[in-house]
Amino acid sequence: MISIKNLQKSYKGIVAVDINSLEINAGEVIGLVGNNGAGKTTFFRLLLDLIRANSGEILSKGKLVTATEDWKHYTAAYIDEGFLIDYLTPEEYFYFIGKLHQLSKADVDDVLQSHQAFFDDAILKKGKYIRDFSKGNQFKIGIAAALLGNPELLILDEPFANLDPTTQLRLIDMIKQLAADKSMCIIVSSHDINHVSEVSSRILLMEKGKIIKDIAGGEAAYEEMVDYFKVK
Amino acid sequence: MTITTFLSHQWSSFWRARNANKSMAIQIVLGIFYLLVFLEIAALGIFLPYFLQEKMPGKEPVFLFCSYIIYYFLVGLLFRFQLQELPSLSIQPYLAQNIKRSSMLRFLNVRSLVHIINILPLFVFIPFSVIVILPAYGALATTCFLLSMLAMVLNNHFLNLYIKRKSINSSWWFFGIVIAIALVKGLDYFHILSFEKTSGNIFTGLLHHPWLCVIPASMAVITFFINNNYVKNHLYIEELVSERKLKVNRNYSLLDKYGDIGDIIALDLKLIFRNKRPRSLIILSGIFLLYGLMFYPKYLQTGNYTMLFLFALIITGLFISNYGQFLFAWQSSHFDGLMSYNINMKQYIKAKFYLFLTVCTLQFLLASFYGFMGWRILPIQLAAFLYSIGVNGFVTIYAATFNARYLDLNKSASMNFQGVGAVQWLQSLLISFGPAAIFYVLNKFAGFWPAVLSISALGIAGLIFNEQIIHWLAGQFNLRKHTILQGFREK
Repeated sequence: MISIKNLQKSYKGIVAVDINSLEINAGEVIGLVGNNGAGKTTFFRLLLDLIRANSGEILSKGKLVTATEDWKHYTAAYIDEGFLIDYLTPEEYFYFIGKLHQLSKADVDDVLQSHQAFFDDAILKKGKYIRDFSKGNQFKIGIAAALLGNPELLILDEPFANLDPTTQLRLIDMIKQLAADKSMCIIVSSHDINHVSEVSSRILLMEKGKIIKDIAGGEAAYEEMVDYFKVK
Repeated sequence: MTITTFLSHQWSSFWRARNANKSMAIQIVLGIFYLLVFLEIAALGIFLPYFLQEKMPGKEPVFLFCSYIIYYFLVGLLFRFQLQELPSLSIQPYLAQNIKRSSMLRFLNVRSLVHIINILPLFVFIPFSVIVILPAYGALATTCFLLSMLAMVLNNHFLNLYIKRKSINSSWWFFGIVIAIALVKGLDYFHILSFEKTSGNIFTGLLHHPWLCVIPASMAVITFFINNNYVKNHLYIEELVSERKLKVNRNYSLLDKYGDIGDIIALDLKLIFRNKRPRSLIILSGIFLLYGLMFYPKYLQTGNYTMLFLFALIITGLFISNYGQFLFAWQSSHFDGLMSYNINMKQYIKAKFYLFLTVCTLQFLLASFYGFMGWRILPIQLAAFLYSIGVNGFVTIYAATFNARYLDLNKSASMNFQGVGAVQWLQSLLISFGPAAIFYVLNKFAGFWPAVLSISALGIAGLIFNEQIIHWLAGQFNLRKHTILQGFREK
């Protein structure tokens, strides 16, 4: 799915991302962990061609993300409010994103119907623009919109941080199911090592732009991370 | 916490705004601009009496001045509705601190007074009073007169704040006052009831009986306390900010037919109608349509076709230059998203061009009514329209790829230079005076028709090759995409 070679990005001489080689496959759930400033969000933005790398390349399905726009057809992301058009109502936003993926209104309505539990009655038919929703609810809107196009690659930046406990657990189930049923490739970053070790099939630990650990998810990964993050 | 601490915080927040123009040159240009505005207003105050005497000989300038005061206050209230914002949000970080409510209240009151609309009138009243009233009526009368004017300004100020806080929809008040002004002027015009004379009598009466200034003064005190009490009892953020209406989903079914391009245009339209700053720009473009009423007759008479052409360019192309100078910046808050949605960049640029085309055509059609003034206006406007869309549209899109300044959609547009850089100044000069210069030369040496036809031909050429130009523009955009994104992220 994603193949990275010698990727480097630095700001004023300070390395933000420095990845020698990395392969990410369809059906994998990648958990990206690391303290603030480790380069997680910068890495995501590089994947989406939102910032230009100093050197190296990112191939998505064998094509350079910088050279074509083909990746946009099957890639969806929610990083922050900058991915929402905040003067639209949630419905308008969903229809807009849906149409970009050739979904009719009825199609979009169907998908939204299936998200009813996830939305918990707080999103639809509220008569508010997106800018007037709370951060957690904005996140729900962003995630739901990202899923609309039925992407093959989904990128979520710290989805657990802003969601309420119930929705966090629902999201974990959703991610697992999407990876299993549709063999979607999902990359999530998180500071919650508990959730991230539960949801991920593979965990990448970043420090100062480098991936210093590449381990399988699960109980053992949790122990390893606790060990790493412990205050020394 | 004293009021000076509050104000010094505000001072820092003004100068340290992330997007404050840092370039020295622009600061200087803006400084000169403000200075000129103030000097002009002050000059108005000084020369007003001579001007009044010249326009309406045989009438007393003081009486004339006083008879127009009523309009000043009505129109002033109108401007206040548009320009003045409630400074409530600035106290948000203090609400939970160990600060007395009364001192926050004082801060809110003082802070709200610091506004250009309260300062400008003084530049008229003070010179006028000193030059005209002082010699004729003496120091006491002048002081009391000035005091009354100041009281009226304060009265208007707090009245506006109170109305804005109280009512969800201040646009009803806005139209109410527009109607009131029309009524006052109308009744006067048909000699039914002269408010102007009443206004004149009242305020000259004030000069003869200075003690009457206690009336406006007490009015100001009363509105101040009404507003003050209201704020005191509602010192919660959600109560201080005007209430929201339920928002409805909109769908422009007309645009549905045009696929992605239609959707992106619909997005732009919603952006315009739902956000303060672009909305006021649109209103401005509408007002500029009326420019023809003011300038066309004069230049038609003198046969100055170059000036006619320049105004035709402004009338048909104002949307392009106003909206287009921030073409991408309008969407700066969600540009990250836009660039990762499933949108092809060529489609995106094309949608911007079609938006220009649609609005510009609309402006052109409306402006065609000016043809009644003289037939020559029609070919001139057609040439200006074709040039605006076929050349200026593309130039504007090209220039926009160099603008990477974040823009806040919800700040009001007046006197707002956020996101304005040297490129924008150059651009606005280039797209209006450039073609006017070409027109001038051709008109002078080859005649009217060659000038009109050449300008039109340039525009038509742009329209014919629009596919190729848009393709090239998309390439240019992609070259600078990352720089733009980077700039927009730095709020």
